[in-house]
Amino acid sequence: MPDSEQSETVQSETVQSETVRSGTVQSETVQSETVQSETGAPRVTRPDARPSPRRRAFLLGGLGAGAAGAVAGVAGGYAYRTTRPAPATEVALENAQAGLLPPVPFEGKYQAGILPQPQSQTAVIAFNATAEGRGELTDLFRTITARARFLTAGGTPPPVGIGGPPSDSGVLGPTVVPDGLTVTLGVGSTLFDDRYGLATRLPAGLRPMLPFPNDNLDPAQTGGDLVLQLSAGNQDAVMHALRDIAKHTRGGMQALWRIDGFSSPARPSGTVQRNMLGFMDGIANPDTTSQAQMDSLVWIQPNTAGEPAWTAGGSYFVVRLIRMLIEFWDRVDITEQENMIGRRRDTGYPLDATSIFATPDYVLDPEGEIVPLTAHMRLANPRTPQTADSRILRRGYNYDRGIDQVGDLDVGLVFTCFQQDIKRQFETVQTRLINEPLVDYISPFGGGYFLALPGVVDGTDYLGRALVT
Amino acid sequence: MSAGLLASCGGSSPPANLVSVSNAGCGTNWHAGGLGPGWHTFQIYNAATEAGEVDLIDPANGAIYAEVETIGPGTSSPMRLDLGSGSYAFRCLFEDYDPVTGPTTVIGGHARGTPAILPITNNDLLGPAKEYHAYVTVGLITLLSQANVLAADVRAANLGAARSAWLPAHLTYERLGAAYDSFGSFDEAIDGRPDGFADGVNSPQWSGFYRLEYGLWHGQSARELTPIADKLIANIRALQASWPSTEINLLDIGLRTHEILENALEFQLTGHDDYGSGTTLATTQANIAGTLELLSILHPLLAPRYAGLPAVYTWLDRLNSLLNQNKRPNGHPIPVTQLSTSSREQIDSACSQALEELAPIAAITEPRIT
Repeated sequence: MPDSEQSETVQSETVQSETVRSGTVQSETVQSETVQSETGAPRVTRPDARPSPRRRAFLLGGLGAGAAGAVAGVAGGYAYRTTRPAPATEVALENAQAGLLPPVPFEGKYQAGILPQPQSQTAVIAFNATAEGRGELTDLFRTITARARFLTAGGTPPPVGIGGPPSDSGVLGPTVVPDGLTVTLGVGSTLFDDRYGLATRLPAGLRPMLPFPNDNLDPAQTGGDLVLQLSAGNQDAVMHALRDIAKHTRGGMQALWRIDGFSSPARPSGTVQRNMLGFMDGIANPDTTSQAQMDSLVWIQPNTAGEPAWTAGGSYFVVRLIRMLIEFWDRVDITEQENMIGRRRDTGYPLDATSIFATPDYVLDPEGEIVPLTAHMRLANPRTPQTADSRILRRGYNYDRGIDQVGDLDVGLVFTCFQQDIKRQFETVQTRLINEPLVDYISPFGGGYFLALPGVVDGTDYLGRALVT
Repeated sequence: MSAGLLASCGGSSPPANLVSVSNAGCGTNWHAGGLGPGWHTFQIYNAATEAGEVDLIDPANGAIYAEVETIGPGTSSPMRLDLGSGSYAFRCLFEDYDPVTGPTTVIGGHARGTPAILPITNNDLLGPAKEYHAYVTVGLITLLSQANVLAADVRAANLGAARSAWLPAHLTYERLGAAYDSFGSFDEAIDGRPDGFADGVNSPQWSGFYRLEYGLWHGQSARELTPIADKLIANIRALQASWPSTEINLLDIGLRTHEILENALEFQLTGHDDYGSGTTLATTQANIAGTLELLSILHPLLAPRYAGLPAVYTWLDRLNSLLNQNKRPNGHPIPVTQLSTSSREQIDSACSQALEELAPIAAITEPRIT
């Protein structure tokens, strides 16, 4: 959720026009609020040393800082209200607890880990390639593919006789269970430098992650030539997969940063998992069962403008590591919290509705009297036809990595999303969020822009084949 | 990196074959009738009243397909392997009894299975141990003479010269990495870290090269460092005196082929063992030299047994080249913390891959009874 550097232009332009639109329009079909809605969002202007005044000003009805400035006249319109079934996440979580998730087929036109609901456990690890030359890079892709095939299918690792140490770490027992493991591999723009002769194959929309205002990016936790996301029903299966892949690729890549994430059960049952702010996260998303929506929002198409042919079937993969300053957040009263998010904390209902999956009707609320114009949910997805193509497939996980220097909990969101075009989608959404009030409570500190490679179509294919051949 | 292995991974285990062993009979109940090539799990049951060891061997040459190193009386242990075409027999080794080899089973056809490896015996390792002992003898002579230069500079309060003399002496010691276990407590005295002392770097118990490094690069005086230098010389002399009667543990020879660089990755490439001189990359190169010496001595034993041996050299060479590329124009090492991220990643990556390639050697060269 950052915003751009190039943002002078992008930012002001987009922000403004979005604002106008949100007032103007109406309906959006279906689903989603795009982005990272209730979750983590970006931050914005670093207020003065003391945030309080600004917060209060916002509460009192001012439109906070720049983000939502003007309200344009509203045209009429309507919004669809939809209800949706409880996400499959719950079922998956129950199965995961039993340790019995079935294998997820590895082969397919698209990588298998992109569309499914978040699993119980995930790890995102960025690597820099250390392979020397295109041949070794190709070996690296083949090896990752071979390990992913085995790990996602499960099976008994071969004993090596007296010829060496065991071939498997054994942390899943003598037989590797698949536990629903998915392995998603992406490439970053730095892979396309002069090392591998890939410069001419750089995807049109791939570049280093833009820092948005108020981001606090740590170079040691940002970027990478490659990224792996490993998701499964249990943490041991994720760890086992990472350990196995690392063991087989030591000479080809070196880990740069890593974060583990988890999904929470829906509480209460039948709702949606909550993030560390206590709000439900990931309520609205494009419909992954709709090929039309996936083709227009998630998958790079053979004819996507400017994209090299090899990227078809891939998807841009944005990872944002977002610390949530939950101690601060917990000292904020509930009305202010709900106004920042745009939903009720207890129920997940939009502030203007009485069901979780209802589509907020901003046309009837042009001044933001019910759902503030700066509410995260509203900025992220204004639900207008003009903003429909900026929707992203959000796949966030919570994270918990201990404590910081003042003893506060280091928890937050591993925000991940997939899309066809980062600029049109993630950056546009993120730009709308630049000055949202929520920024005081979150701190994006790392992540990267990647392109999740096209899938592996058959037993001889490997991830990255179209890129390196 | 290898992409192999997959074809055979998915198979499920067939029902276990129970194989009973004792000091009187070894798998005599095992009938391979109907046993085809592929993955099999044998349940080895020890019917004797003492512990034993069971190997599945090729009776023609004694090469070992699989082993259960220790199996207690009345217990059983699984032995899993991929049976290929060839001859198989169980061999049982019980203390105080002669080895017993059971009946031979032949699996026909042309299937490839878990390869058998010719075991290495204590006897096979005596020559290499002697060679390595001689290498250390020579190394200790060099070490003493270089350490004497260092100590003389410290005593004379020529601390600039002492800083120059410190590195070659330390690197000589770091080339002897296969022998540290044999050195016993001398290793701690000559090259110990302060980590285990309550007072850390201020501990009066801390001695040796790293202690001197810390003092020489942290402004300590010649007066303060002289007793430490004297003690270093005394310890090296004592080690040298004891060395002719010191035996190298035969098990160590194989183990140290990867342990030396495991320690380099843990302590040198992380910068942990940089006590001021910023020379841990040079230390790593000395450790590579020590590893190569060991490999050279073991080469005749490894060449026919380890198909991955060329890869070991490939990755050690790459690591060494990367370290050579990351030096100051005057040849001095660059502190590891000053490396670029990409240089550091390449070095760590090459060292880690070298370690993966080295790892099987310890298993292959473990001395076995035949």
